[in-house]
Amino acid sequence: MKIRFIILATLFFSFVGCVEIIDDLSLNEDGSGTFRYTINLSSSKVKINSLLALDSLDGKKVPTIGEITRKSDKIIELLKTKEGISEVTYNADYDNFIFKLKCEFSSLKALQDAIRDVVKSENGNKTIPELEQTWLTFESNKLVRSIPQIAVKKTKEINIDDRALLKKGSYTSITRFYKEVDRFDNESCAISKNRKAVMIRTDPYSLTQNPNLLDNSIYLVKTGE
Amino acid sequence: MRIFTTGLILLLASHCFSQKSEDLVPQQAVSVFSINNVNLLQKISLDDLVKYEFMEEVQQELFDGSTSGKTLKDSGIDFDQKVNVFFGRTADFELSGFTFGVKDRSQLFEVFDDFLPTESDYEGVDFYVSYFNRIAIQGNSGILFRVTPSMNLVNTITDSIWYARGNDYPWTWEESFDELLLDMEENGEFDEDEESEDGDVDVEFFEEMETEENTSSPIENSELPVADEDPTSKTYYELRDSVEFALQAEHLNSVCEDLFVNGDNLIKFSSEFKNQVARPSEGTFYFDNSRTLRKNSDFIYLRRLYPSFYKKLEELYYGNVMLGDLIINDNSIELELNAHYGDKLGSIYKEMTNAKFDKNALKYVPKDNSSFFTFRLNMREAYEQMYEVMHPLLESEADKSRSFSSSLLFLELWDDFVNKDAIFGTYQGNMFGAYNGIQKVKTKKFVFEYDEETFEYTEQEVEAEEDMPLFTLGFSTERSDIPEKILRHIERTNSYCRRQGDYWVFNKAILNSAPLFVLSKNGLLIFTNDEDLVMNHSDGYGSDALSKAHVKKAKKSGFLYAYTDLGKAIENVPRELFNDEENELIDVVRGKSGKIEFTSSETSSAKTSFNLAYDFEGDTDASTYILDLINSLYVISK
Repeated sequence: MKIRFIILATLFFSFVGCVEIIDDLSLNEDGSGTFRYTINLSSSKVKINSLLALDSLDGKKVPTIGEITRKSDKIIELLKTKEGISEVTYNADYDNFIFKLKCEFSSLKALQDAIRDVVKSENGNKTIPELEQTWLTFESNKLVRSIPQIAVKKTKEINIDDRALLKKGSYTSITRFYKEVDRFDNESCAISKNRKAVMIRTDPYSLTQNPNLLDNSIYLVKTGE
Repeated sequence: MRIFTTGLILLLASHCFSQKSEDLVPQQAVSVFSINNVNLLQKISLDDLVKYEFMEEVQQELFDGSTSGKTLKDSGIDFDQKVNVFFGRTADFELSGFTFGVKDRSQLFEVFDDFLPTESDYEGVDFYVSYFNRIAIQGNSGILFRVTPSMNLVNTITDSIWYARGNDYPWTWEESFDELLLDMEENGEFDEDEESEDGDVDVEFFEEMETEENTSSPIENSELPVADEDPTSKTYYELRDSVEFALQAEHLNSVCEDLFVNGDNLIKFSSEFKNQVARPSEGTFYFDNSRTLRKNSDFIYLRRLYPSFYKKLEELYYGNVMLGDLIINDNSIELELNAHYGDKLGSIYKEMTNAKFDKNALKYVPKDNSSFFTFRLNMREAYEQMYEVMHPLLESEADKSRSFSSSLLFLELWDDFVNKDAIFGTYQGNMFGAYNGIQKVKTKKFVFEYDEETFEYTEQEVEAEEDMPLFTLGFSTERSDIPEKILRHIERTNSYCRRQGDYWVFNKAILNSAPLFVLSKNGLLIFTNDEDLVMNHSDGYGSDALSKAHVKKAKKSGFLYAYTDLGKAIENVPRELFNDEENELIDVVRGKSGKIEFTSSETSSAKTSFNLAYDFEGDTDASTYILDLINSLYVISK
């Protein structure tokens, strides 16, 4: 799901420019957790409404709100059927163009498998080698996260001129834990005052230039420390 | 389109005349654009030429490497003859192409290397064929043309043969197809990308469906006809192709008979064309609007059912011809157009344009505008004159036809009962519009604020600004009380509309984001998204309004005046506000400077003259601007 949204968002937002994306992962002690993904396009309402009024742009068909809704609903319904995924909610505000997805997962593997299945299904069940990668692992108090290769591949397909428009936006990645964070590898990372959440902020353009910007290894304090 | 673009290439190629390529323009041509003198363009390299949008379709066909590094003068075209690009339409077929002089056949067919010689039935005429296009060369002149039968006619004949052979309706949709589609969708076989624009399924699916029902004899069982069992059986599409091919051959023959046997060409048919094409300007334009009525297939029904009324309509349109001259100066290109018409139609036009210029209108156009227009019509006089012309026309037919009698009654009752003073007092016909470039407009947006303790975030609504093109559109009115009644009603019944002083605000009326303002003042009803205008300039821009010299020009012009500063108007226009086709057109002039002015003369009962002047400055030479114009024509017409 995350990948699909990144792909769709990046392609669409390349035309819109000013987009705010929040990628929020909360992890419980048993490996389960909550995934929230928010896309905020409210500062580009005029542009989006004018885009939606067009039949096509740069040779690509511009979907109607009805088509976007149907497609989103289909993806959400598909996600709900995936093993280990529950409490899926999706809110789409087409007045302000704010889209929020939230779901519970039983494990990081279940979350990644669900995303893989949805992406694969949306691509006609074709084999996508990039999907074989594991981009989230949590072992021995250490979380390792990176950008899925499929998203990297898709962002590279965006026209260079269009990529420049993404500089105005922001991409925020938050990872929350059930206990305090001891340390992390990514120097761009900030830690909350309660030390249970880390955040990296960048812009979508930088992400297209360097997909490793969000890569991070986060170490939690060991029990008893 | 390919034939059109090919014509445009050659359009650039001739500059004066000694022979008569125009003698090969068919009499069916309704519009002809002739270029007499394009000296400036002769040196343009083909490599530069193919970079233009209008070359995209022909660059594979014509410039597939064999012409690399050459210029237009190497194309075998005789620059001593004109190039005439024409388009025609009859009730049965369309005809398009161009005529040109031939200097060197071998060079010509290096460019037209897809054309192969074919047998000619006409003495002294050589024919060459490439798919649906033909080149015929007679003496030192040639014509490249294509005949396309009317699809209405093709479909009618095809259906007739199809049903006569005992076939069923070819477009049946069966329930099993729905199930099949559902299965395909569920299996991911039917991707949305494969849908056609109107949402229908892929053509392949229909082909399969039609083949199932399409045999030369009624289907007795559900098996498909197999080609080797009955090689003469045709699907609906195959039958339609055959009909189209046969009709095309028939129309092709009739055009050739006219041209090469009877000598019936447009020069012989139309004295207006004969005179216009002989003019010494660099280019000429001919458009016979009266024949678009006669040859428009939409009027076939009228012509057959009500021949006498149709004849009167034809008389009304008699002499409706547009003639134009293209004049190239050092730093400008001018297009002069004269719209001619008959007395009756002319009397309506004359009364319609007999309107007083509204001085108040241009007070609302700022002097630093990017583009504006004024349009003045006298709708009341136009209505009265139209009544004078149409009433006797309908009355003469009313005894013969119930529908004409009803139309006459409707016209008379409308005239008796409707308050024309109120209608034409509210909308007199005068209007103006202005584009004031891109400005920031106030909108709302949401931002997320993060709690430093936990990084939890909450939404906050804040003020924002976005780029938006500013437009103003205004109408003169003597009865501002009527639109104000409507506005007050909207205000009372809708929360999105509210009055503020002398203007109304419609929130989120534009792209669901920015407000639209309606100002009713000084005998004008103005619609704009420019908040500054309604708040600070509700009586006009004063000293910041359009210069007196510019107002004088607009006032002096006839019913229409338009002005655009390309540098200001085009450069900052956001691409996302226009569709692909509009963006292609905008891209043609993007990066160019210059001013375009469109004026019209006073309208008489015989004609109205128009002038389009394109002034440019800087290093870019006239040839580039001419190519830009041609490119614009291509983008508009494709």
